[in-house]
Amino acid sequence: MKFFKSEKKVPPLQHDTSIPYAEVPAKDFEELFKKFKASADFLSFQYPSEAAFTVSYFKSIVGPDQVHQEILPVLTQQHPSTLEEVKNGIPVENIIISNDLKVIQDAVMTGSVIIQINPDNSHCLLVPCASSEKRQISIPETEFSVVGPKEAFVESIETNINLIRKRLPVPELQMKEIKVGRISQTRIAVLYIDGIVDQENVQTVIQRISDIDYDAIVDISFIAQMIADNQNSVFPQFIDTERPDRAASGLSEGKVVIIVDGSPQILTGPTTITNFFTAFDDYFVTWHIASVFRLIRVFAVLFSIMSTAIYVAVTTYHYQSIPADLLPTLIASRGAVPFPPILEALVLEGTIELLREAGARLPTKVGQTIGIVGGIVIGTAAVQAGFVSNVLLMLTALAALASFTTPIYQISNTIRIIRFPFLLSAQLYGLLGVAICAAFFVCHLLKLTSLGRPYLEPIFPLRVKDLKDSFIRLPFSSQTQRPEILRTEYSSRMQPKPKEDSRDIDE
Amino acid sequence: MDNLPKKNRKVSSFFAMFLVHKMQIGVGLLGFERVIAKNAGYDAWVSILITGFCVNIVIWMSFRMLHKDGNDLISIHKHLFGKWVGGGLSLYFIVYFVFLTITILRTYTEVIQIWLFPGINVPVLLIIFGLLVYSCVAGGFRIVAGIAFIGLLIGMPLLLLKYFPLQYANFSNLSPVLDHSVKDLLLSAKAVTLNFLGFELLLMYYPFLDEPRKAEKWAQIGTIFTTAVYLFSAFVSFAYYTQEELAHSIWATLTMWKIVDLPFVERFEYVGVSIWLFEIIPNVCLGVWAASRGVKRLFAVNQRKSLLFLLFIIILSCMLFQTRQGIDQLNTIVSQVGFWTVFIYIPALFVYYMIVDKVRKRSK
Repeated sequence: MKFFKSEKKVPPLQHDTSIPYAEVPAKDFEELFKKFKASADFLSFQYPSEAAFTVSYFKSIVGPDQVHQEILPVLTQQHPSTLEEVKNGIPVENIIISNDLKVIQDAVMTGSVIIQINPDNSHCLLVPCASSEKRQISIPETEFSVVGPKEAFVESIETNINLIRKRLPVPELQMKEIKVGRISQTRIAVLYIDGIVDQENVQTVIQRISDIDYDAIVDISFIAQMIADNQNSVFPQFIDTERPDRAASGLSEGKVVIIVDGSPQILTGPTTITNFFTAFDDYFVTWHIASVFRLIRVFAVLFSIMSTAIYVAVTTYHYQSIPADLLPTLIASRGAVPFPPILEALVLEGTIELLREAGARLPTKVGQTIGIVGGIVIGTAAVQAGFVSNVLLMLTALAALASFTTPIYQISNTIRIIRFPFLLSAQLYGLLGVAICAAFFVCHLLKLTSLGRPYLEPIFPLRVKDLKDSFIRLPFSSQTQRPEILRTEYSSRMQPKPKEDSRDIDE
Repeated sequence: MDNLPKKNRKVSSFFAMFLVHKMQIGVGLLGFERVIAKNAGYDAWVSILITGFCVNIVIWMSFRMLHKDGNDLISIHKHLFGKWVGGGLSLYFIVYFVFLTITILRTYTEVIQIWLFPGINVPVLLIIFGLLVYSCVAGGFRIVAGIAFIGLLIGMPLLLLKYFPLQYANFSNLSPVLDHSVKDLLLSAKAVTLNFLGFELLLMYYPFLDEPRKAEKWAQIGTIFTTAVYLFSAFVSFAYYTQEELAHSIWATLTMWKIVDLPFVERFEYVGVSIWLFEIIPNVCLGVWAASRGVKRLFAVNQRKSLLFLLFIIILSCMLFQTRQGIDQLNTIVSQVGFWTVFIYIPALFVYYMIVDKVRKRSK
C-alpha cells in the first residue's frame, strides 16, 4: 500500500562546510592554529625563552599544575633539542608526535598540550594533560533505596566505568568505545561481559550507535530514543538507571550496558516490560516481600491507568452496575457537579498534570509549596465549589500516587500519558471502549521489541522459566539460570546445591 | 515454489493448543446451550462429547495430511487436484474463513447491541474493530498468536463466575439421563459443530508451527480442553435453567452473569461483554489472517493488500446483517456449511489424499 508507506526521500548528500573538521580539520597547520587562537582561552607562548619551544594549549581544559610541574621543568632543566628528547623527558604516558591535523585537533580539544620546536613546523608533540571537573559521587535520587549501596553514577564516563568495574573485577567485562555527534563528539561506551552476553545484542547496539548521525548528543536519553526498535512507541525500550549495582547486575545477567559521557544515567538492554516493575531493592529483601511489592506495583499501574476511565465509563453508561450500597455515596458526591463525568475527569486529571509539571520545573523548596497549595487547597476548593466530586478526586489522586510506584522514571511518564486514550475511549463506548483501548495497547506491546527481543517476554512468548524473576521474585536458590530472553552464551549462574541434611523425621 | 515461513516467524509447538482452543471459544460460548438442547434436551452434553471426539479425529486426519505435505491446505489442494480445481477448492476455503469471521464479528456486535448499547452506531463500531484487527494482523502471525494467548489469559478467569449460578444449581434437571434417541443426540451434535469450528484454521497456520509433530499433541489437548469448557458450561446452564426456561434464553451464559453478586459491581454482564472482546478479537484476527494468507498463497499478492481487501469486505458484509433473524440465519448457514466442510469434506480429502499418496508411491 503506497498510501501507508511514507515515501523515502533521500536528499542529495551535501558536503557540510559549516563543520569542516569531521574529516579535514583545516587546510593547513596555520589555518588550524588561527582557528585555535580565535578563542581567548587558547594560550601559546615561547618557553623557556624567545625562539625556544612553543607551548600552546587551551587553558580551560588543561590542568595547570601538571603543566607547571611535569612539562615546563623538562624544557628548562633537561635542555632537549628534539621533540623525541622532550617526549622521553616528560613522565606522562601516551605522548604522541604527529603532523596529522585531525590528530592534533582532537588531542588539543580533549586537553593536550602542544609543544613545537619551530612555530611554523607542523610536527607537534602532544602531551595529554586534561583536567575535567566532575561531581562527587552522590546518593541515588530517582532510584533511592533504603538499604543497599548509596552510590549513583555521575557525569564522567571514567568514574561510571570505574563504579561498574570495581563491582565486576573480571577481564571478561569488556568495553567498546564509539564517538558520536558531529559537534559534541560524545564518547559512548558499550559494556558487556564476554562469554555471557549474546554477541548479537552487542553487535546490534554497536551497529545502531555507529549509525547515529546527529550534531550534538547531550544526554543518554538521545541515544535511548535514537536506537530504540520502535521510535514511535510511548513505551521506553531500554532501562535507564543511575545505580551502578543495577548496571552490574544487568551485566552479569547478560545484558548490554551503554554509557554516555556527560550523562549520569546508563542504559541496559534488551529489556522486557516486567523489568520496569523491578526495583533494585527487591533483591535486598526476602523473596516473599519482594514478590508482594512487585505485585503491588503491577496492580498500582493497572489501577492508575484504568481507574478514572472506569469511573467515567460507569457513571456515563453503566450506572446500573453500581451496587446499591455504594449508590448513596456516589450520589451525595456527584449530585451537585454540573459537568458530565468526562469533563470532570479531564479537569481533575489536567490539574494533577499541571501540579506535576509545575512541581518538576520548580526548585525543591518551592515545589513542596506548590504541592501543598495544589494538592490540598485546590483539591478541597474544587470539591467545595462543586466542580468535581469527592470520589473522583480520591480516584485521581490515588491514580497519580500509583503511577509513582514504578521504579523506573521513564515508564511512569508513559503511564501518565496512556491514561488519556483510555479516558476518551471510556467516554466513547463505556467499558467496551476501555476494553478496545486495552486491546490496542496489548497489540502494540505484542509488536514491540527491544533490541529485537520481544517486549512482553515472559508472558508472550510464554517462557515459564523467566517468570521466576518477573512479576514475582523467587529466592536466589531458584535463580540458577540467567533469563532466557537474553539468550546468553553461558546460562548457568551457579551449581545447583546438593540437598542439605534432612531432618530426623525424613530419615 | 512454496516458500515456508522463516524460523523467527514461527511460534512454539505448544501454541497450537492455544490457537486451536482460542478459535473454538468465542461468541458461541455465550449462548450455545439453547441451540444444542433443542433436539437432545438435557442429554445434549453427550452431543458435546460426540462432537469433541469427532473433532479430535478430524484434527488427527488433518495432521496426517499436513505432515506428509509439510505446508498448508493450499499446497495439498494443488498437489491433489492441480492448479485450477485445487485453486477453486482453496478459494472455497477462503470464502468459508471469511464467512466464519463475519459470523463471529457480527454476532458479537449483536451482543453489544442487545446487552450494552441498543442505539450504537454499528458501522462505526465495526470500523473500530476493523482497525484493531488490522493493527494486530499486520504484525504477522506471531502477533496473532500472541493476542490469542493473551485473550485466553484474560478470558479464563470468567469461568470462575460459574460459581454464582452453581449456588442455585439443581442437578436433578439432568435426570433422567440418556432418555433421547441416538438420532436426537446426533442432531444436537451437529448443532454443537458451530462452537467447535475454527480448529480447521490449522490447515493454514501449520507451516508456522515450530516442530509440527509435537504441535499435533498440543492441538489435540486444546480440543479436549475446549470440550471440557463446553461440557462444564453446559452442565452449569442445564442445572441452573429448567428446560422451558432454557428454550427462551438466547444468551444463556450471558444471562447467568446477571446473578453474579460481587460487592463492588452489579450487573456483571456489562463487564463481561466488554472483557469478551478479548475472546472475539483473536478469533477475528485468526480468521482474517487465514483468509488473507490464503489469498496471498493463491494469487501471489502481498498479504497486507489482501488483508485490507478482506477486512473491507468483512466489515461491509457485517453491516448487511441487520436483524436478529438475519444474524440467526447466518449462524445456522455457517454452522451447516462448517459441518459439511469439517466433517465431510476434510475426511473425504484425507481418504483421497491417502489413496493418491499410495498410488503415486507405487507408480514410482
